[in-house]
Amino acid sequence: MEFAWTPEQDAYRQTLKDTVEELLPDNWATEIAPHSYGSKEQIAYSKIFCAEMAERGLLVQQWPAEYGGGDGDAWQQWILAEEMMLVGEPRGPQYMNVNWIGPAIMRSGTPEQKAEHLGRIAGGQVIWCQGFSEPGGGSDLAGMKTKAERQADGGYLVNGSKIWTSYSPSADYCFLLARTGEQRKAISIFLIPMNLKGIEIQTYPGLVGKGHLNQVFFTDVAVPDSMRMGEEGQAWEIITYALRFERVSVARFHIGRKVLDRAVAQLQREGRFNDTAVRVRAGRIAAMLEAGRLLSYYVIDQRAKQGSDDVNGNIARVSVSQATQELQAFIMDYTPDALTGGDYVLREFFRANLSSTIAAGAYEIQLNLIAQGALNLPRNG
Amino acid sequence: MDFDFNDEQQLLVSSLQGLFHNYAEIPPAGRGETSWFSADLQRRLVQGGFFDTARQVGTLEAAIVVMEAARLPVVVETGASALVAPMLLDEPLEGPVALLSGDLSKAQRLLPVAKTALVDLGDDVVVLEVEPADVEPVETMLAYPYGRFRTPPDLAKGRRLGAGAVEPLRQWSRVALAAECAGAAQSAVEFTVAYVKDRKAFGQPIGSFQAVQHRLAQCHQIMRALRYNVLHAAWTREPVRADMAAAYAQMHIQKLVFDLHQFNGAIGLTTEHKLHYWTFRLRALQPEAGGGDASALAVADKLWGAAA
Repeated sequence: MEFAWTPEQDAYRQTLKDTVEELLPDNWATEIAPHSYGSKEQIAYSKIFCAEMAERGLLVQQWPAEYGGGDGDAWQQWILAEEMMLVGEPRGPQYMNVNWIGPAIMRSGTPEQKAEHLGRIAGGQVIWCQGFSEPGGGSDLAGMKTKAERQADGGYLVNGSKIWTSYSPSADYCFLLARTGEQRKAISIFLIPMNLKGIEIQTYPGLVGKGHLNQVFFTDVAVPDSMRMGEEGQAWEIITYALRFERVSVARFHIGRKVLDRAVAQLQREGRFNDTAVRVRAGRIAAMLEAGRLLSYYVIDQRAKQGSDDVNGNIARVSVSQATQELQAFIMDYTPDALTGGDYVLREFFRANLSSTIAAGAYEIQLNLIAQGALNLPRNG
Repeated sequence: MDFDFNDEQQLLVSSLQGLFHNYAEIPPAGRGETSWFSADLQRRLVQGGFFDTARQVGTLEAAIVVMEAARLPVVVETGASALVAPMLLDEPLEGPVALLSGDLSKAQRLLPVAKTALVDLGDDVVVLEVEPADVEPVETMLAYPYGRFRTPPDLAKGRRLGAGAVEPLRQWSRVALAAECAGAAQSAVEFTVAYVKDRKAFGQPIGSFQAVQHRLAQCHQIMRALRYNVLHAAWTREPVRADMAAAYAQMHIQKLVFDLHQFNGAIGLTTEHKLHYWTFRLRALQPEAGGGDASALAVADKLWGAAA
């Protein structure tokens, strides 16, 4: 056991810092980043930024070389996530492509699907949305109602709707889950273009930033067999694999520490950081963020060695969630002007974490998975 | 970065577990007591050279010694002997070693069994020999022996280490207390998880209820965080990491003790039920080194500078 970064990892991180410094435009912090990473402004810029990153071999460094990557490891993917998060995620929603949509296609896609999608993702030119949640579904993913009914002359007809579908108004493709049978887990995956006939999108105003709260309606959408990924009914196994990467994919503790530093700097400027109560609160949150960092690093270590992290991802996510909740409370207690025209970095952190205990597996689902996966506690009879 | 033990570290853990195997239960003479200090195991740790680990192998490995020992229901003094003293002094101290600070007229942890004390005077550190006859044991529900000096100790008789020893003393005291918390929390969580699988109410194991599962899952997460915080602080040797490890541990003791006792119910309040050996060790560590708020304040001082 040791906790040092390798010289290669340090050099990689520095390369990323230098590249970000070079690529981000002068108006990034004033006109693009404040709109949040799901906004049209940031999505449009992500195509410029990711293309540049791809050209330099930095977008999918951790992917296998046969898919355009650099045969890097999980640590490189994580260092990339940390450095991107630190400057406001200029990859926009494309972080999702790189982290888990691409790897899921590599693992389960047909040769044709790999050829169609992986090159575009690696080129930084494509936006995906994920069609998982449904109205009234909540955390019960397997209870979904959207159906893909097999047609006599081949292909499927998709009917239903998905909700909270971040980025869908700008998305080129949807990673869609739909029911293909009556059994609870008879669910299949479809990789569908968003311009298919019968797809409509409604956007809801909300608190969590532009581009996140949408509902996608599927009305008699004809989907050919070639767009189904994996066998019929195999979705559960594939998304269980993919969502492990979703759970610990955003370095929230890393941006959390930057946000805490900014909040403290503001308090110091305003002469309000001499109060012992405030200092103790800040010190506690720093310690909580550090705990989240170490548990997340443990996950990355397991991924680098075994390709998977099992329940450790849930443990790390719970830890980071607790820290970010405390940090939100700190912002409200001591720098509330962040929400009324003050520092946009604090505001966007606050905003992004309104949903961080709900999306990608609710906080309580994480606790269920720890109780079962780590503690082997019996299910309620 | 590598979170798995290397061969040498694994061998250390195996050696400790082999040694500790016979101390997994409180001996008959100690049953019903709130704590049981094992002089026999303390001697074996000295003879086995485990308190030389920091000097001869490394500080992370010394933290492993402290954590593993804290998983036992019996008490041994490891934090000061394995981590604090080796980082302050070139030569070993005669142990057990008590870490003293604050008002020395009040009872101090481990003082009744200590041969030596390291006293934090604020601007200096004093190494003091402790005469057993000078110490009066006090009764306590906390799971360590506690005692107070019958008359104020003559600090002039001790050896002064100088002002430069104060910060290292505090740093490694915090790593040590966090390591003891990590070990005690691990045993307390494991003990409780086993209990809720076995104990039935309303016709089913209480561990099947989500209200119980969620809180135990949180305790498990805290316990895991404590472990890596400690090992990281010991490995980096950075003072702020020690403060963070202690702050994190001390701020979560209330939750750990509340939840774990809650799920053991009233039986957990008997001294025959082993839970208290770990939970009341945690309680004892809660105010150490100034307590959780002082540890958090130390984090703030180091990260953002002292208050103006």
